[in-house]
Amino acid sequence: MAGTSNLLKVRDYIGSMPSLPTTVSKVLEVCNNPKTSPMDLDRVISLDPVLMGKVLKLINSAYYGLGTQVTSLVRAIIMLGVNTVKNLALSTAVLDKFTSNKNFRALNMEGFWRHSLCAGVTAKLIAKKRGVESKALEEYFAAGLLHDIGKIPLNNALAEEYVRTMAVADRDRVSLHVAEKRTLELDHADAGALIAAAWHLDGAISDAARYHHAFSEYQGENRDVVLTVAVANYYASREGIGFSGNLYPDKLPPEVFEELKFRKEALEELEGPVNAEIDKAKVFLRLAQ
Amino acid sequence: MFTVKIWGDRGSMPTPGPDTVEFGGNTSCIEVRCGKRLIIIDAGSGIRQLGDSLMRTDFRAGPIKADIFITHTHWDHIMGFPMFTPIYVPGTELRIRGPITYEEDPLEKVIGSQLSYRYWPVRQEELAAKITYEQIKESTFDLGDGIWLTTKYLNHPILCLGYRFEYRGRSFVTLYDNEPFRNVFPTDPEDPQYDESYAREGEEAAREQNEKILAFMSGADLLVHDTQYTAKEYVSGKVGWGHSSFEHAINAAHKAQVKRLLLFHHDPNRTDTELQELEIFYQAKLRGRTSMSVEMSREGRLYTIDPVE
Ligand SMILES: [Zn+2]
Ligand SMILES: [Zn+2]
Repeated sequence: MAGTSNLLKVRDYIGSMPSLPTTVSKVLEVCNNPKTSPMDLDRVISLDPVLMGKVLKLINSAYYGLGTQVTSLVRAIIMLGVNTVKNLALSTAVLDKFTSNKNFRALNMEGFWRHSLCAGVTAKLIAKKRGVESKALEEYFAAGLLHDIGKIPLNNALAEEYVRTMAVADRDRVSLHVAEKRTLELDHADAGALIAAAWHLDGAISDAARYHHAFSEYQGENRDVVLTVAVANYYASREGIGFSGNLYPDKLPPEVFEELKFRKEALEELEGPVNAEIDKAKVFLRLAQ
Repeated sequence: MFTVKIWGDRGSMPTPGPDTVEFGGNTSCIEVRCGKRLIIIDAGSGIRQLGDSLMRTDFRAGPIKADIFITHTHWDHIMGFPMFTPIYVPGTELRIRGPITYEEDPLEKVIGSQLSYRYWPVRQEELAAKITYEQIKESTFDLGDGIWLTTKYLNHPILCLGYRFEYRGRSFVTLYDNEPFRNVFPTDPEDPQYDESYAREGEEAAREQNEKILAFMSGADLLVHDTQYTAKEYVSGKVGWGHSSFEHAINAAHKAQVKRLLLFHHDPNRTDTELQELEIFYQAKLRGRTSMSVEMSREGRLYTIDPVE
């Protein structure tokens, strides 16, 4: 019974999901400036998983059913035009009830944001190293950036319960998604899949959100992206770049690296570029340490 | 019968006065007839006179039934709607379709809210006509009676559709408001914001979309194309405003083997004399170089597209 009501609350929340507070003031600044460059527009959106998802939703609902999905923001900006994307970002960012910092009780918002960004950047860098064609790289980024998006409705729509979930994960020393299932009867992968469906993102982004923990069950066409995101997620947790509430992440079986033909040791080479990207983002958003 | 009549071809704002008598001062509205079917594209200020004309002619045979397609909801394309007489006449049936950018507000609200007390003495709820609204996307529609419609997103600051009607082997296409798609990301490696993968992806996306536009207008018997600017005006300050130049429209239409091109969405500052001169200039330039006929759109003019029998 609790599961059903939780599901309803989560669904309800997804219907009007606000942007992250980290980026809101920057979004306003960039989008209210008539001289904003497309590059800055791209950057400010790709730093906010919610905004990113919503822009992709707009383009995919406009072009829905017309061949392949658009998962690249660059492409979306060209197809929809700078103004449309700007206005969409503004209208999302100024939703009067945007998530305030104090809504983040269980999760630390700043840590969540950094974890998401790290996963996106890392997934893209791994893909690049593995020689994935440049056209597809943005999809790896988007899938990484959005993989944990299901945690937002859990954290905000089930705020009290989610604090308890964290405590259970801590007490039982289990990965957060396991504790979520135990306490809420749905985990952030389920919630992520609901969001992806609501935003018409039914390709790699959806699959990564849904299967980044249960990747061994997944045999679909986006397996490469799903596994890459699983590795990126592992890397972000291992290096402690950001924190999305998971104190006891599952170990990553060595077969994942074998299947991707990517040496685990090569992760070491990512440290420099990943940190550089995140620093750039921080400077851009003028975040305090 | 397959005919197209221009009731408004001015861009941005109606421009009445002695300087706009020949080419017209009303904003976009086009009447299309396919047999006994009536199709209207856009509800700019030109729709007022179309409405009055319908009341004098079609209405004698019975209530007005029409399909209205809105290219986009910028004001110059919907502003005439409250003055379209048939909406006040019982028995009128209008099916209005068009794109909208934000799904939060339905088309009915975007267009119909012009009929609210703050803007107009009659409210939408008080209209006598039966009106339905439908949001449409890029797709192909069977409109019945042998009429097929294909739609294509254009490049404009809001979602905007081009319309291609096929009827008895002939085609009529509208391609406004539209600016050629372009890569908005820096392509110069010296630019501090340059990023190779962005530059490349941007190029590719713009090229792809422009090719789709060419295919969309390909072989049209009659094409109405946005030509708000000259090429010179376009490059000096109008890039990104969502409109095309005469030069672009002519080149693209020629490339797509269009048979007849109407230059449309005249800049509000363009006088009759200037439009006349531009028409003569482009026609002279094109003489002997293309089999396509090119002319300025003129308000009130009727263009016949003979069906292939
Ligand atoms: Zn216009
Ligand atoms: Zn317009």
